[in-house]
Amino acid sequence: MSARTEAPATFVAAASTPSPLALVIEAIRDVASRRRLVRYLVEAEVRKRGVNTLLGNLWWILDPLLLMAVYVVLVTVIRTRAIPDYPLFVFAAVLPWKWFTAAVTDATSSVVGQHRLVKQIAFPKIVLPVAATTAGVVGFIFGLVPLMGIMLFYLDRLSPLILLIPVIAAVQYVFTLAVAVLVAAANVFFRDLGNVVRHLLRLWFYLSPGLYSLTHLQEIGLVRENPWVASVAALNPVAVLFESYRRVIYGTEQTGPMPPDWLALAVLLVASLGLLAFSSVIFKRLERDFAKVL
Amino acid sequence: MSDFAILAENLGVQYSLRFHRKQSVQRTISRWLTRDVAEPFWALRHVNLRVTHGESLAVIGPNGAGKSTLLQVLAGIISPSEGRVESHGQISGLLTLGAGFDVDLTGRENILLAGAFLGLDDRVTRELLPGIVEYADLGKFIDAPLKTYSSGMRARLGFAIATSVDPDILLLDEVLATGDATFRAKSKARVLQLVEDAKAVVLVTHDMNWVKEYCNRALLIENGRVVMEGEPDEVVDTHRRNTEAARKRKMAEAKAAGLAPEIVGKRR
Repeated sequence: MSARTEAPATFVAAASTPSPLALVIEAIRDVASRRRLVRYLVEAEVRKRGVNTLLGNLWWILDPLLLMAVYVVLVTVIRTRAIPDYPLFVFAAVLPWKWFTAAVTDATSSVVGQHRLVKQIAFPKIVLPVAATTAGVVGFIFGLVPLMGIMLFYLDRLSPLILLIPVIAAVQYVFTLAVAVLVAAANVFFRDLGNVVRHLLRLWFYLSPGLYSLTHLQEIGLVRENPWVASVAALNPVAVLFESYRRVIYGTEQTGPMPPDWLALAVLLVASLGLLAFSSVIFKRLERDFAKVL
Repeated sequence: MSDFAILAENLGVQYSLRFHRKQSVQRTISRWLTRDVAEPFWALRHVNLRVTHGESLAVIGPNGAGKSTLLQVLAGIISPSEGRVESHGQISGLLTLGAGFDVDLTGRENILLAGAFLGLDDRVTRELLPGIVEYADLGKFIDAPLKTYSSGMRARLGFAIATSVDPDILLLDEVLATGDATFRAKSKARVLQLVEDAKAVVLVTHDMNWVKEYCNRALLIENGRVVMEGEPDEVVDTHRRNTEAARKRKMAEAKAAGLAPEIVGKRR
């Protein structure tokens, strides 16, 4: 009888406090057993975006392009020193950033947005932030199309290293998921977290080397007087990601593409896995109270 | 299979009033600063329950007594703060059926999504699909987005899904009152069929005629405590007496406060 379903046929619920490790294992099992639900939620998200808008699926391509245009115009007006091939320079950061913000923003409201279901069906709620993060991957993949388009203008910067994008994206996925799971759970208890997150994300982008690179930071007076600021800036996970993407897509101002800083990426991956484990434990701990609070 | 479908022992669900309603960061901080300690509140306590297969148990009681909370615990949606629940058999997860899953998706897509949420195998959901579509009887609306549905149509779709998954344990919260007369008759027949198939049914309802006529047992809950359990006729009578007594008490209180009794009496 239970063979036809993914949900357990027998269950025992009792007041107890499982260990963190047990919770991590449970979280992994939750997602693994409900892969199809994640897929459905992602599909529904993608389809909705295409159906309800004037330009439909074209938005996937236009969105990062328009954002890039905004930043290029902005920086061209206020910049003091020109960065060569600036559109490509910026796009290498806009592309992963769109994914990160979309995923974190969607994840924030993912559990609260499904409050009716949370109250009437027993299902592992962790699939909701996982689906939000995964739906962002679709946008990211579509974003590779305009990237190729821009690349056509800067063919001298094109190299096989661009094929390393999926490797960096994999690290980004883990990091994004860790943040997404955490904010999804927290938003159930603090409903105004969405506003906080929106502003923090914006601040985070400008604090990350998206419109500039880490080397540009050295030229700012504040950083020259306080060298530790540069070290802290380099610790920013998003900085590691931006710099990695930029190195394989753009390279540096003087040179063409080069491999990413593998050590930094590896450290970020390990740290992200740790954060993800922490987020999962927090999520699972709070999950039992979701239905009561919503 | 065990001799019982659901067993609850000394079940208690505690709500922390601090998180009971919508919460904001600002309010929490101000609470910390003022050291406002929230008092816990037991929505359910000391509930012992045993439902066997083939039994149809009605849960009745005034609003806010903890009936829906009980169903949520039995369904595994809320974990108990005290005691334990054990259940054997596939539980139909849909408690209230008006909700639907995704208003932007069509009825058909919603059925597939529902299957995924309920943890059904995809093949099974697709096999069940024609039956659900036929039973819900929504005509061409089945391929229209859910947001175009009336609440009755949504309830029909929900009921069709919840009962089509062939559950061993059917938990229903106030669903017999939904839909038009035709569908109501149809849904009653379906629930009776499930009871006959030796499935366990636990339903929360205010329809006392249904309780008397079709349930084998009834449970009266007031203020989170089981007040009475037994023959539907007797429990329903007790519930009526208690409701009447509560109404009189309220009217007396209102009279003392100087309010016109007929207004209070109507409002109850």
